[in-house]
Amino acid sequence: MDYIAGYIGRKATITTNHISNLFALTYRIFVLIFQKPKAGRALVRRITLEQVYFNCVQVLPIIIPIALVFGSTLIIQFAKVSGQYDLGKTMVMLIVRELGPVTTAILVILRSATAVTIEISYMNVFHEIDAIEMAGIDPMRIVCLPRLIGITSAILCLFIVFDILAIIGGYLIVWVFTYIPMGDFMTQIGKAITATDIAVGIIKTIFFGIAITVTCLKHGLSIKELTTDTAVSISKASIECFFYCIVINVITSILFYM
Amino acid sequence: MCLINLVDYTIDSPEKDYGFDKLDFALSLGDAFAIITDSPGRAHMFLKTLAMLVEPVSGDFYFKDKKVDFSDYRNLLPCKKKIGYIASDSAMIGNITVRENLLYMRYYFENSLSLSLDEITKKLCKNFGIYDKLDMRPGRLRSVDLRTAIAIRELTKSPDLLLIERPENFTGYTNLDLFTEVLRDMMLTKLPIVFISYDRDFIEEFSNKKIFLKDGNLDIVK
Repeated sequence: MDYIAGYIGRKATITTNHISNLFALTYRIFVLIFQKPKAGRALVRRITLEQVYFNCVQVLPIIIPIALVFGSTLIIQFAKVSGQYDLGKTMVMLIVRELGPVTTAILVILRSATAVTIEISYMNVFHEIDAIEMAGIDPMRIVCLPRLIGITSAILCLFIVFDILAIIGGYLIVWVFTYIPMGDFMTQIGKAITATDIAVGIIKTIFFGIAITVTCLKHGLSIKELTTDTAVSISKASIECFFYCIVINVITSILFYM
Repeated sequence: MCLINLVDYTIDSPEKDYGFDKLDFALSLGDAFAIITDSPGRAHMFLKTLAMLVEPVSGDFYFKDKKVDFSDYRNLLPCKKKIGYIASDSAMIGNITVRENLLYMRYYFENSLSLSLDEITKKLCKNFGIYDKLDMRPGRLRSVDLRTAIAIRELTKSPDLLLIERPENFTGYTNLDLFTEVLRDMMLTKLPIVFISYDRDFIEEFSNKKIFLKDGNLDIVK
């Protein structure tokens, strides 16, 4: 019994410590947003744009077909039961409120979060972070800050693309390739969607972006010596990112819709 | 004025036993220390200590007579900026080109990305034979070229102190003469250096003091 209690206690302490560290890292990076030293602005801006390119523009060829498939499949499924449910309202509830932000986050976790964890851990193991420090440059400002801004903006943009394509693109696919009657689908969407739906989607994606970036940075930066630890770190970071996104999603939905 | 002064400085390195216990060390302008040791790992740790890459357990680190506060890494950055660190764990940033690596400090502190290499850096790159490799990523370079590029970066950052580990290995024997020539010119300005070398000629030419390092204790001989 003592052994089990001890185990639970140790795990709880480690988890609390880890989550506190994540919040502390988030705070440290956020402080940098409001500090505006003249030095390094151009470099930070360039690295941020690179991150937006890697995490948003390069993800578009993946997210576009996924959004179309998701949208058209949901429309086909729910059009069959449109007698019971309002199709437009159902689509807004599913895509804008829930599936859009979560699917975007999952794609970013699969594609970018793993990459960021590897990149940062390699930078740490191969002393690139030390090299940045030896140049008198704060690695937080040049490595962490651009990734936080870049990845969060990228998720936000991808969420907008996903929602638009899933609804409009999905509708067009169903309209062109099937004979399923859908009535005035776009009017229903227009009536169903509210400012709160859009705001909640945006809030969720911003929090997802922050959670994903900070978790990956934390795991990447915690690898000090062994490159073999990187694999474990990536695995932990991905699962944690997914878990945090689900938790944020549930909390935001409860706060706004219950 | 002491450039670096370590007082009762204790470094812990339990897994490799390269630590130092209550170390006292002072380095002034014009000092050129050669480290003589049978433990290269410990000598490397000493260079890392001087480069502020190791956090002390206790003791004080004075840089230009000002006590350095290790509680926040950001306090160390202005000091680290003035230290040239040419050692086996020196690195270049892997996802940018060698040219961008050489310009990185200037990109940051001059807040501009439209800069080009200054004449001295260009000349060094040409002399060391890496000029045509400047637009490659560091990972594409041969290890000797990569180390040479690192050496050039550190030499051209206008350091107040130069820490060098095995220069004969770092730049390769073919480039050692060129390297010593550059170093000789820099030392005319009384630039202090601390180095580890197994090349007797190099030690004789460049050192005016010797550090005998054994079991974590320093003996300095002029």
